[in-house]
Amino acid sequence: MADLMADLNATEEKLATEIECLKAPSASQPDFPPPRSSNVSTPVPSAASSLAPPPPSGAKPTTEEIEAQMKADKIKLALEKLKEAKVKKLVVKVLMNDGSSKTLMVDERQNVREVLDNMFEKSHCDCNVNWSICETNPELQLERAFEDHENLVDPLSAWTRDSENKVLFQERPEKYEVFKNPQNFYLWKKDKTTLRDMKDKDKELLIQENFCGTSIIVPDLEGVLHLREDGKKSWKQRLFQLRASGIYYVPKGKTKSSRDLVCFVQFDNVNVYYGKDFKSKYKAPTDFCFVLKHPQIQKESQYIKYLCCDDIWTMNLWVTGIRIAKYGASLYENFKTAEIKASNSVWTNRSTPSSSNQSTPSPTVKGSMTSPPPPPPLAEVLPPPPPDPVLPPPPPPMAAKTASKPTPPKRNQPNNFPPPPLDMDNLPPPPPPPPTDDHLEAPPDFLPPPPPATGFNSLPPPPPSFGGVDHSLPPPPPDPVSLPPPPPDPVFVASGAPPPPPPPPPPPPAAPVATLRPAVRTSGSLKKVPPAPPKRTAPTQGGGGGGDFMSELMLAMRKKHADQ
Amino acid sequence: MAAWDLSVTVEDLGLDAPPVTISVASDLHIGGVILKLVEKTQIKQDWSDHALWWEQKQRWLLRTAWTLEKYGIHADAKLVFMPQHKPLRLGLPNGITLRLRVCFSNPVFQTVMGICRMLNIRHPEELSLLRPIEEKKKKKDKNLAPEIYDLTEVPLSSGTLSRPCLYNGMPAHFADSPEMEAIYKMLSVSQPPPAPEVIAKQYRPASVVDKAHINGRYVWLDSSRCLLQQGIQESDKLWLRFKYYATYDMDSKYDAVRLTQLYEQARWAILLEDIDCTEEEMMLFGALQYHISKVAQSEPQIMSNNPAMDDLDSALQSLEVKMEGEGSSASDLLENMTAPELTDYLKIFRPKRLTLKGYKQYWFKFQDTSISYFKSKEESIGEPIQMINLKGCEVAPDVNVAAQKFLIRLLIPAPEGMNEVYLRCENEQQYAQWMAGCRLGSKGKTLADSSFQSEIQSIRSFLAMQKTNSSSSSANASEESINTHSLVSPRYHKKYKPKQLTPRILDAYQNVAQLSLTDALMRFLQIWQALPDFGLAYVVVRFKGSRKDEVLGIAPNRLIRIDLSVGDVVKTWRYNNMKQWNVNWDIRQMAIEFEGNVNIAFSCVTADCKIVHEFIGGYIFMSTRSREKSETLNEELFHKLTGGHEAL
Repeated sequence: MADLMADLNATEEKLATEIECLKAPSASQPDFPPPRSSNVSTPVPSAASSLAPPPPSGAKPTTEEIEAQMKADKIKLALEKLKEAKVKKLVVKVLMNDGSSKTLMVDERQNVREVLDNMFEKSHCDCNVNWSICETNPELQLERAFEDHENLVDPLSAWTRDSENKVLFQERPEKYEVFKNPQNFYLWKKDKTTLRDMKDKDKELLIQENFCGTSIIVPDLEGVLHLREDGKKSWKQRLFQLRASGIYYVPKGKTKSSRDLVCFVQFDNVNVYYGKDFKSKYKAPTDFCFVLKHPQIQKESQYIKYLCCDDIWTMNLWVTGIRIAKYGASLYENFKTAEIKASNSVWTNRSTPSSSNQSTPSPTVKGSMTSPPPPPPLAEVLPPPPPDPVLPPPPPPMAAKTASKPTPPKRNQPNNFPPPPLDMDNLPPPPPPPPTDDHLEAPPDFLPPPPPATGFNSLPPPPPSFGGVDHSLPPPPPDPVSLPPPPPDPVFVASGAPPPPPPPPPPPPAAPVATLRPAVRTSGSLKKVPPAPPKRTAPTQGGGGGGDFMSELMLAMRKKHADQ
Repeated sequence: MAAWDLSVTVEDLGLDAPPVTISVASDLHIGGVILKLVEKTQIKQDWSDHALWWEQKQRWLLRTAWTLEKYGIHADAKLVFMPQHKPLRLGLPNGITLRLRVCFSNPVFQTVMGICRMLNIRHPEELSLLRPIEEKKKKKDKNLAPEIYDLTEVPLSSGTLSRPCLYNGMPAHFADSPEMEAIYKMLSVSQPPPAPEVIAKQYRPASVVDKAHINGRYVWLDSSRCLLQQGIQESDKLWLRFKYYATYDMDSKYDAVRLTQLYEQARWAILLEDIDCTEEEMMLFGALQYHISKVAQSEPQIMSNNPAMDDLDSALQSLEVKMEGEGSSASDLLENMTAPELTDYLKIFRPKRLTLKGYKQYWFKFQDTSISYFKSKEESIGEPIQMINLKGCEVAPDVNVAAQKFLIRLLIPAPEGMNEVYLRCENEQQYAQWMAGCRLGSKGKTLADSSFQSEIQSIRSFLAMQKTNSSSSSANASEESINTHSLVSPRYHKKYKPKQLTPRILDAYQNVAQLSLTDALMRFLQIWQALPDFGLAYVVVRFKGSRKDEVLGIAPNRLIRIDLSVGDVVKTWRYNNMKQWNVNWDIRQMAIEFEGNVNIAFSCVTADCKIVHEFIGGYIFMSTRSREKSETLNEELFHKLTGGHEAL
């Protein structure tokens, strides 16, 4: 309900601001390049008309009513168009674990969950709950995983133009650890064996108690942390306490009673980040540091609060505690959604007859998952792999990571960034796409079938039979479609051995190094960006709606299971 | 069988009347005794509520089919014939005293159920009755005795309804007359903040030990025994309070009274420092109290309707009107939705390390979520000198009405850090508008947002509060201006003057000012429940094998052991690891066994061990509710868990 209200409000606001543009049409919106707006506005009419209010209930409408209705429709259509045109979109380059990258368009209405789902489709990973979208700030040596309910465009818009920041797609086991082993956070004072031997029903009870009541209970954390003094190079110890309302410390010579606590920080305007390698950067006592800062602060500043813990365990305790205090119930909601996504993908993959389990890559699927053994990490949108039974299934990114020799998943090295995407160039070009014009509107999220893991040199690209197998899918267009097939790169001819990652986007026309740096561009700087991939026209569904049915079935099964 | 004489005091004949003597045989059943009694008194009235009370044995003779012999009654028995329901003065969490008819013969658990049914409070198992301490100073201000609202005429209903049928948003017996409606409003709408002196006068615990002694001072009644057995007489005063802090299934649609009373109990717990909180939390509690009392007094009570539904309806309606408006063209429509304009001359100051420049005047313009400023109004068409985007910034007031100082302090995030900017307004009006704009901007909202006007209003009313505080005394202040000392515990009365407190509460207030009444109540309860010490009842105990007193804290999900010398929690035991617990009633010692061969035993110093036993059993009972999901209360289980050997 609140969402709807917000939506209504947003429409009104947008209109209000829009009119100003109408009044003064003096190119006040230079950041609207024609291709984009055309791309963007095309889907609108259909969407808008489907949204049109039903005719007034009751008897047959009179002509006036019909006219009025049409008028209203037109107005609504106009409103929708205006709204759509105002939507801010970013082209984001997401770095994968294996060093490759994916480019995708994110609009400001999308939250991280939706972006993650897009990434699942693009990457054939196993979709487990640990997958996260993270941001790194090399200048401050910080990183943070976005929460699934967060909007992605907002924090990215805060990056400076020359930012070295990156967006990563990676597994972070600490993301939902609190829901897998709540005892480690809520009963952290107990001894290690008790924590390890905790029974599942007790874990569940802990989650119930702390996340399902009228209020969210924050772990009762208290301990000595090292605080970096403002402006000075030294770190000094303080006794800190975490409460739902913020972090407090005990002033010297005072008791620990609540009334004597001094507020250190409240969470409304700050996010919590992990600090990397602070021992050498800031002479921190250990490398287990975390930082609290306003998301817009991107450079050294007295407004950044640096804290250092004695060990990694304490650091995770605090960072998770702060996240619980800040995000509350959303965190648990996110986890539940992520779990459903993960198990759905397990189900769809299992039900695909042509897939095999031999390349199960995910060591991260934790015991908390009730579903059967981890499946091959196929996203549901993928067309079935080539029907040759001898072929190994397409390698997941994880497999690629472990198998490939020279590609450590380094993140912060834009210059020697390994460009595995280019491996693709050894392959024969993808199946000749139909006239590119037709495909400009094709959703970019459909992937060409993944190349097989080994011996791909001898294999042709996706066999022609492929198109016949799955009628509902258009022949996979190159991704992004608007780009010409990448030119072969001689440097990489020799490196045929490493199994290729999932089909990456062909490199943008510019030199790889150059494109890496501004991974994100705001709409203002769109001029420099390679043509944006066309907008998704419809939510991508599994072939012939099978995925939909399967996920429903899965839900029903889960429900039944839960009832027992 | 031989007949013998039994003398029975009949209360209805008056206190001084001699006992009525009837001739009975030992095989006569109680029903027969009553029949004889009634015939003998020759009074024609409804005797159906009457029953026999055996004074020496302190028990009711409620089984009318049992014979005198079975009960073991002989000629020397002193019996009293009296009604089972009698009036009682009942203090509610919000400080109101009711007079109502309650059951003196059933276990207190059922008595509370009856009371809650009458007051429309669901889940009566969470509440219980307290015997308040004797108030000695009462003689002094006897004329100030609180007004008592009489509910004794309310007919008693039976049966438990988890979703009582409401008439006009209240139970039918409250909808009878305007007077009764007024009482219901008293129950379901939170009270205005108390005068600071009232708070200061009340007893406040200073330490954990003090809190532990509260359980000795205010005694929880035994749920498994009836009122009369616990020495409660007709018209005595008892308190109704939430005892088990495990609120379950709160639904603002049905729980108007429950929610309000729980809020009142929480509010007093905060004001009297029964539960500790930090200064920041206290300010937020203060802001919420202010907001709740303001909204409660202004908002017409539509109890049966869902406010969110109303909002949506009206929003849709207004959208419809806008769409179908006579002769509305798209541009008209757009015109109507344009944000209100906000432009003015203001003074700005940017403190920098090495400059001592003062405020400079510019022409300011508010647009979207940004403020732009120009040299003058005439130059406002061109490029601004600077544009400040307020999204995500911190806004703080720096106001002194008496000194006519109206500053807005902005901390604006930038990649390099936070930039500090001060805006100086000339007067209240200007300040309220720009402050409201800045607050909306910081949340990413524009002036077109519907909350703009109400934001201005709330800022102005807060300014008014500061004005009255600085000029007149607070004693006879109108409802519009609340003394901020009424919103915080007495500790802060000493620490801050009201006018120092106002900006701090105002600061916290900006985050809650837009909440509806129900949301604000819920928020208050949530913050209260999130406090680390929430729900703890303290008892001084002596652990077996220990030589010193320690404090046992009983929480909804665990027991904690607190070392008195340090005040630290030494040990925590959770109920779900509990295997069994026993009470040795002879030596008044409790023994508890937890999984993993953990055994503890202790005797209670400041409270009877029955109270501790009932607390633990009660909480375990509360935790079974969600699993059972049945609508009826499993009373038997409750008594099994809390009653000890005396029950059943």
